[in-house]
Amino acid sequence: MANTSRLYLTCIRNTLEAAMCLQNFPCQEVERHNKPEVELKTSPELLLNPVLICRNEAEKCLIETSINSLRISLKVKQADELENILTKKFLRFLSMRAEAFQVLRRKPVQGYDISFLITNYHCEEMQKQKLIDFIVQFMEDIDKEISELKLSVNTRGRLVATEFLKQFI
Amino acid sequence: MACFERTSPALKEILLKIYRAEKSVEIDHQMHEFGSVQYHVQCSASDPHQTYLSISMPLLSEGLQFTSRLPNYTLDVVKGIYPDVVEIIEPPKDGYQLTLRLNFARLPHSKVSTKIITEISSVQAVILGSQLKAMLRLVDSQEISQGMYKPIKLIYHPGEPFYVIKQPAKITAVFPMRFKENTDVIIATTFFQELVVVGSTGACAKAPHCIWSPIPPPELRGEPIEDLSTNGGFVSFDITFRHVEGKKLDKTVWNLLNFYTFVKYHVKSTRGFIHRRMRKRLGDLVEILQNAGIEEEEQIKNKVQGFKSVRKLARFPRPEILKRRFNFSKKLKRIRSRLKIHGFSRFRRRWLTMPKFSSVTRYTKLK
Repeated sequence: MANTSRLYLTCIRNTLEAAMCLQNFPCQEVERHNKPEVELKTSPELLLNPVLICRNEAEKCLIETSINSLRISLKVKQADELENILTKKFLRFLSMRAEAFQVLRRKPVQGYDISFLITNYHCEEMQKQKLIDFIVQFMEDIDKEISELKLSVNTRGRLVATEFLKQFI
Repeated sequence: MACFERTSPALKEILLKIYRAEKSVEIDHQMHEFGSVQYHVQCSASDPHQTYLSISMPLLSEGLQFTSRLPNYTLDVVKGIYPDVVEIIEPPKDGYQLTLRLNFARLPHSKVSTKIITEISSVQAVILGSQLKAMLRLVDSQEISQGMYKPIKLIYHPGEPFYVIKQPAKITAVFPMRFKENTDVIIATTFFQELVVVGSTGACAKAPHCIWSPIPPPELRGEPIEDLSTNGGFVSFDITFRHVEGKKLDKTVWNLLNFYTFVKYHVKSTRGFIHRRMRKRLGDLVEILQNAGIEEEEQIKNKVQGFKSVRKLARFPRPEILKRRFNFSKKLKRIRSRLKIHGFSRFRRRWLTMPKFSSVTRYTKLK
């Protein structure tokens, strides 16, 4: 974990640990249905207060909790145009393959880059601690990948530019 | 053009086919390449040694667009390809700017023949390049005529014009860059910034001075607004005498003509590279989540550690080990196996079978 983002990620981890106590709860509106309450928001008594953890204006995490589901929305930092398109491309690429992740939402919440939806069924199938680890690891990996991609694109550009100019010499 | 090779692959294939044909062949092919170059290849069975190749293409400079004849310096370059084999026909065929008569009978029967045919197939690159060459040769000339500093618009690929501006002791080539997608613009912009940085370093100090600017350079003032509206900015190269002397002229001309293609190729391959990396990272992230499953944990817990032989034993409970060691079931089976006594089966059927009783609830079939 990078030192600079350690506190931010620790804060998210602790919040998730506290929030991820989900239980099976049938829908109160429709009989024999079981829906994530955090998505429907039909019964306010089943919802907890959302927690917004901000590192800065461009980097934040929204954790919305309900009795049977949890929604985590992330906003990834984009320092310049290149980082912006790389982030958009990468997160869209992941969202398009959401079925591989089970907990990934196909469409992010408005104002965020990517969202996860964890239900009580996910908590039954997977270990809670490892699920939290995955979210934190995902955040770390996205940051790392974007930085590496940016560096690679710049390096490639420099090499190609050198080769092109060398042809004139 | 959209291809880095000077040679037209389709034209080369047809010419080689004609050259290698054992029997005389009748060929009349018309083809278009890159949407702007048109070829017509004719070869009659009655005169198999004579092949006619006609070419039509948009000329580099717009000023020459509507003239039917190619400039003399271009014709001189074409004549120089291989004078024994290539002959220019005057006037060219209707609708074409240049018609060549190719005499394959005069081609030497060796590997040189393929080389000559390759050279003939690259005639359109030679024609287009010759026009830019003629302009670049003037880089060192001190004479300044009226309108010398006026930008000359050159179109090598339709929709992608570039400008050549004669200035004292240098010629500036300005490329207005346009891209269809926003992603392409950003990747290309990164490349242009690197181009400027690399150009100013010591390793490429002798290369043409390169400038990238998001706004049109002052030299292009007065040009039509549609040519100056770009999303990728303007890249300028200052060509000096050093870059056009001797054999460098050919390379410089080819690099300038193919700058658009080069940038587009770089953008395309960078996109591919990004995609490859994303695909790899997706696999890594999925693996982390898969390891979060509860079954996985149980499997790990159950896993016995130790030496291989001990681990093997530990997998089975004690009765199982004993059962394996002293396998009684086989022995019992062997004991219980039937003894065959001759005629016993008939005796058993006669005296030892139980009579069948019909059920009270069932009906008996009446005979």
